Amino acid sequence: MAQDFLEIAALTDVGKVRQFNEDSIGIDAETGTVLVADGMGGHRAGEVASRMASDLIMAELHEAVSGLGNETGMIAALHAANQAIKRANRAVFAASQTQAAYKGMGTTLALALFHNNKVVLAHVGDSRIYRLRGNALQLLTRDDSMLRDQVDLGFIRAEDAGESHNRNLITRALGIAEAVKPHLTDDSALPGDIYLLCSDGLTDIVEERDIELILSALRSNLPLACFHLVQTAKDNGGYDNVSAILVRVRERFPAARRWGFLRWLRGLFT
Amino acid sequence: MAKLVLSVGGAVVHQCFVDKLRLTIGRDAVNQIVIDDPTVGREHAAILEIGNDHIVEDLGSAAGTFVNGARVVRHILKHGDTMGFGTHALRYLNPKAEESELDRTMLIRALPKVPDKPSQPTGTEAADATINTARPMKGHLPSGRVKVLAGARAGAQIELDRVVATLGTPGGHLAVITRRPQGYFVTHVEGDRYPQVNGEALDAEPHALRSGDMIEVGDEKIEFLQD
Repeated sequence: MAQDFLEIAALTDVGKVRQFNEDSIGIDAETGTVLVADGMGGHRAGEVASRMASDLIMAELHEAVSGLGNETGMIAALHAANQAIKRANRAVFAASQTQAAYKGMGTTLALALFHNNKVVLAHVGDSRIYRLRGNALQLLTRDDSMLRDQVDLGFIRAEDAGESHNRNLITRALGIAEAVKPHLTDDSALPGDIYLLCSDGLTDIVEERDIELILSALRSNLPLACFHLVQTAKDNGGYDNVSAILVRVRERFPAARRWGFLRWLRGLFT
Repeated sequence: MAKLVLSVGGAVVHQCFVDKLRLTIGRDAVNQIVIDDPTVGREHAAILEIGNDHIVEDLGSAAGTFVNGARVVRHILKHGDTMGFGTHALRYLNPKAEESELDRTMLIRALPKVPDKPSQPTGTEAADATINTARPMKGHLPSGRVKVLAGARAGAQIELDRVVATLGTPGGHLAVITRRPQGYFVTHVEGDRYPQVNGEALDAEPHALRSGDMIEVGDEKIEFLQD
């Protein structure tokens, strides 16, 4: 059971300007899966898109990951994440095609699936995944955004990016076309590591050095760290919905150990 | 739509909308904005539209392009920026860019030539991954400090100039002071006893601090001071 080796804290907040919260979060402590989705679209359709994507992906991964059992290696887990995201994409897109109110809706995604001492990371759009190891915060995803492209092409300097008006322009989203290509990778999850999944309502308004400081100072109290991240975003203006999920790796979690635990559990009843 | 206002010595000589993906500024008549000044280059600078941004780029001019008095090579224009070309001032006006409506997430086609690479394995990508997308913060934050009177750090004075600062010892008794626009707050983080302020134990909630408050966290005694 994932709750043995992971500690999870999460918070989503409407912010101080918006009327509705179009972010959705998903947490499955049993399989060690978490996600943040930031919806877009008019008339609350963004809420529908992010909720739909979140629910579909979480449900499918719950099945798939429970079925992984003692499977070592990461290919099966990566494949499961990819499948779930693509299926959710088709469903959100189909819904947007059948109802006028949902036309053009879509969502970003940041997903982490902890398995076999590693973590599968998936993302689409400008929701991000960071890792705090020791006291150093590292960004593990590359935004699908106009701003990121501008910097990579050398149009503007990385340190000037905060001045840009393009932070809201994303170049990829889930649910806006028949197919989506998520970014998938895996990362070694070491005991003590803290993973942060967040919507751009946090990173557009709180500097990375402040996120790093909050996480390293409050690492022993994840709910408080989560609260402070969201509070800082709101203190800085809270222009957007803000969501943050923190996952701490408590101990090693080899796939075989989980299997061993189940076998041991079964042994008690036979 | 963004607007440009050209003036010399405070008198407006020309104004136009930024209605092209690229417009140029210079002495030659071929430019969209012509500046009759011998120190200005034939084709001196260009303004490009990239998404919601207008970026001014110096085209290798001898005299240079200035924005609000500072020489720039490329600069993202903000509402009210004044570009200097010789004796002329070119003001950029785009009040819409200030509105929060722009914060609504929208989908746009990726810029061409950006490699569609997947996220790379950890470690290789991260070094160049960090860009400062956080907008500059507006608003006022208080200024305060703590003096450690007893404990391992006794005698130390710590400026509270960051978003959080910890008191006590990680793994033992730990509290955090948060800096917010409305003031400083102290909150319990870990340990089997709550911190005390002026002899009164806190609960799990944040507690607003006043200058002169005495805080105890484990065996650390701290005086809080605010300007």
